[in-house]
Amino acid sequence: MNYRRILGRIEREEFVGRDRELDQIARHASRSAEARGLLLLAAPPAGVSELLRQAFDQLFAQRGDAIPIYFSLTQHDSLAVDAAVRFFTTFLQQYIAYRRVDPSLCEAPLSLKELVELALPTDYEWIAALAQSFERENAAGDTQALIQLCLGTPQKAAAAGQIIFPMIDGVHFAGDFRGRIGFGRQLAEIIARSKSPFAIAGPRRQVMDLIREADDVEGASPVIHLERLDDAHAARLVEQASRRYEVEINEQTRDLMVQQFAASPFFITSMMQAAQQANTPLNSFVNCQRVYVDQLLGGQINRYFASIFDRLTPDAQIRKNLLRVLYESLLSETHKSSLWTWKKRIGADASEFEHIVHQLHVRELVNSSGSFVEVNSESTVWLDYLRATYRVEGAGEPRALVVADTLTQTLKRAPRTMARHYRRESAVGLRDLLARFNCQEVAATLFHDDRFKTAYKGIEPEQVEASLDAEADLIRLPQIVHVAACGSFTATSRFGDEERCAVGHGFEAADYVDQSEIVWLAAEVESKLEAGRELAQEWFDRLTDLARRCGFAKVRVWLIAPEGFSAEACRFLTRRSAYASSRRQIELLSARIKPGVESREVHPDAANEYELVIPMGQDTELIAAHAVEQIARRLNFPAQAINQIKTALIEASINAAEHSLSPDRKIYQRFRAENDKLVVTVTSRGIVPADMRVEVDGRTVSPSDQNRRGWGLKLIRTLMDEVEFEHVDDGTQLRMVKYLKK
Amino acid sequence: MADTAGPATVRSRCVGDAAVIYASNYLNKLNGERIERECRQQLEAGRRALVINFRDTELVNSIGVSILMCVIDAAEENDVRLVFSNANSHTIDLFEMLGLSRHVNLVNDEEEALTLLSGSSA
Repeated sequence: MNYRRILGRIEREEFVGRDRELDQIARHASRSAEARGLLLLAAPPAGVSELLRQAFDQLFAQRGDAIPIYFSLTQHDSLAVDAAVRFFTTFLQQYIAYRRVDPSLCEAPLSLKELVELALPTDYEWIAALAQSFERENAAGDTQALIQLCLGTPQKAAAAGQIIFPMIDGVHFAGDFRGRIGFGRQLAEIIARSKSPFAIAGPRRQVMDLIREADDVEGASPVIHLERLDDAHAARLVEQASRRYEVEINEQTRDLMVQQFAASPFFITSMMQAAQQANTPLNSFVNCQRVYVDQLLGGQINRYFASIFDRLTPDAQIRKNLLRVLYESLLSETHKSSLWTWKKRIGADASEFEHIVHQLHVRELVNSSGSFVEVNSESTVWLDYLRATYRVEGAGEPRALVVADTLTQTLKRAPRTMARHYRRESAVGLRDLLARFNCQEVAATLFHDDRFKTAYKGIEPEQVEASLDAEADLIRLPQIVHVAACGSFTATSRFGDEERCAVGHGFEAADYVDQSEIVWLAAEVESKLEAGRELAQEWFDRLTDLARRCGFAKVRVWLIAPEGFSAEACRFLTRRSAYASSRRQIELLSARIKPGVESREVHPDAANEYELVIPMGQDTELIAAHAVEQIARRLNFPAQAINQIKTALIEASINAAEHSLSPDRKIYQRFRAENDKLVVTVTSRGIVPADMRVEVDGRTVSPSDQNRRGWGLKLIRTLMDEVEFEHVDDGTQLRMVKYLKK
Repeated sequence: MADTAGPATVRSRCVGDAAVIYASNYLNKLNGERIERECRQQLEAGRRALVINFRDTELVNSIGVSILMCVIDAAEENDVRLVFSNANSHTIDLFEMLGLSRHVNLVNDEEEALTLLSGSSA
């Protein structure tokens, strides 16, 4: 949908990558009965302000019941009362503009008297009264009363029967006010009291704190996490900006800007503006970095960071000390220092120091936790600014030298930035793959490169697929509950690209006991040909060293190389119970691993699903058996298959009744009829006692008196085509499938 | 001897020194134990052959089958001949899956069972 640009800084068709978020905001505004807040959490500067402005324009054009109001605190609001007054006038202006269907009024320079005159007759009375109250409180000089009046404007509109949808932006600036009176919290509380839907946006590290402090804002507000734009949308954003500012780019420089600026709309737009002003095409890495360095040391990018520092403290010496401390932390191996050290070296008093660290943390320039503070090294632009600014302002180095050094460094870095991006794009996605394991069974040859090559080298792909499906030697993968890059577990940079080395914590068979806990350490190694023993050993040692330092008790090392591993490397890894796979094996594995067990529960055709809950005992399994018989008849299963299904269901029900120690003594059954099969799921709550546990692969571990009584699972596996215990947090869930054989 | 039946027992009848015991519709733990008790009582009464007739049995579960194994074991220990008859195809499949058919004769009907038993006693 295209609409007139009112508050948006760019046209709607140029605003890319946020369609979903815009829809969410619009839908939230339409839920006038719910009166709940919508929180927009963003990593600065992710473009949340433009998102709200675009939402305002969209809602204005849609003419829904809720009247959109967009208000942003800014760095220019030095006092709380200034912000409150601006809120008051902004509210009235946008309200009247909406009511009069005249978007030009939103930003027209109008006095309060003019605004009152523009109010519709149906609004005149309460707006005029409000304006009079404003004049009175303003003249009286009671700041608190004036703030209360101004912030209470939405309630006045609500009392007049209007539904307002205020969108409050820039809440992080509320923390900078002198004469601080908890303005941000006060604003949030008052907005929430208006009993209309509303939205609050700001840095993700601050908005949640603000909401927790506010009394009337409900804790269960929906949240939009504004993540970084994906590369495709960011590339479109660069192209749109280049057209808007008429700056020439090419694909290489476009992609470099996306990576270097981490898809930040603010930095990308700043570059385009600067390039336009300098009349410099961004069609080479040299030109890009020249414009960039210029921005870094004196342009908009510099002003962005400088304004943050200016608002931290008015004391120039403290700012200088802070710059030095930040720079020195950056040079240290861990980028980390103790807060106590920082405080001592910065020289600020306790409350000022706390404010400084908090604001840096909110803006994600540092990570502060407990006793330590760490320079956030994720933003290239921030680090470049820090280095260049310290050298010029802190160390007093000649500016020309810093410019030249920064330019040469960024030029040398550019190809590496792109190489890292290309490698990341071509990575197999270890973390996603590990996260999808979820106790699924796969052919063991997918984890043994030597065996895979022996069996399948030179074989047609279709035959490989069929053979893998028929393999009897299977590995049951663990349930991985947490995955992170190897680099997250260590301060060193021995593990290369974070996409190519992962640590996955999990449990075998989703059994949450000590003995079942396992850590998979997976790494994609670079090798043009088969990875040799030396390389395999190097990575094996690297990963096991990490495991040892982190205290992982039980680990599985898994190495992946594009062309697999040499025979010697395979022998080395096999002797150490490590897995080795080639790229091809990973592709086959990925195709076989389903997204997740939970997704099986999502099914499009509820009409073909039946649920039954029976109490345990008293032969109630017969009731379930007769029910499934009727369902199976409808699917035209032959008599023999129906009997098999009934028997399997009886066994599953008995198993649940005997072993579950169920607190509610109920068995939950679900029957889903699909075109070619019947899926039967039997679930019960409770814990399976350890001494009664039966391994799902048929190997019983049970007392001797179970030798005959343990036939139930054996029967189920024989009678049904697929049998699987699915992990549930409490109890057991058995899934059985019978295919309708034509 | 006349047929015997009661709420807490299974139906049975005697033919010579053999007893025919009729399993119920659902061979579960309870009914399996009833068959087991009836078999024991018949043996104590001097029967030397047992036929368990499954003509009414539609469904079995593994617990019931495991109790039948106990009956088979007891028959072997006491040198008593045991035959199963009239099991439907599904029940026969289950007996085969669980290995029962290796330890006991399965015949089509009661007459065949009695003939087999009388022949083997001759």
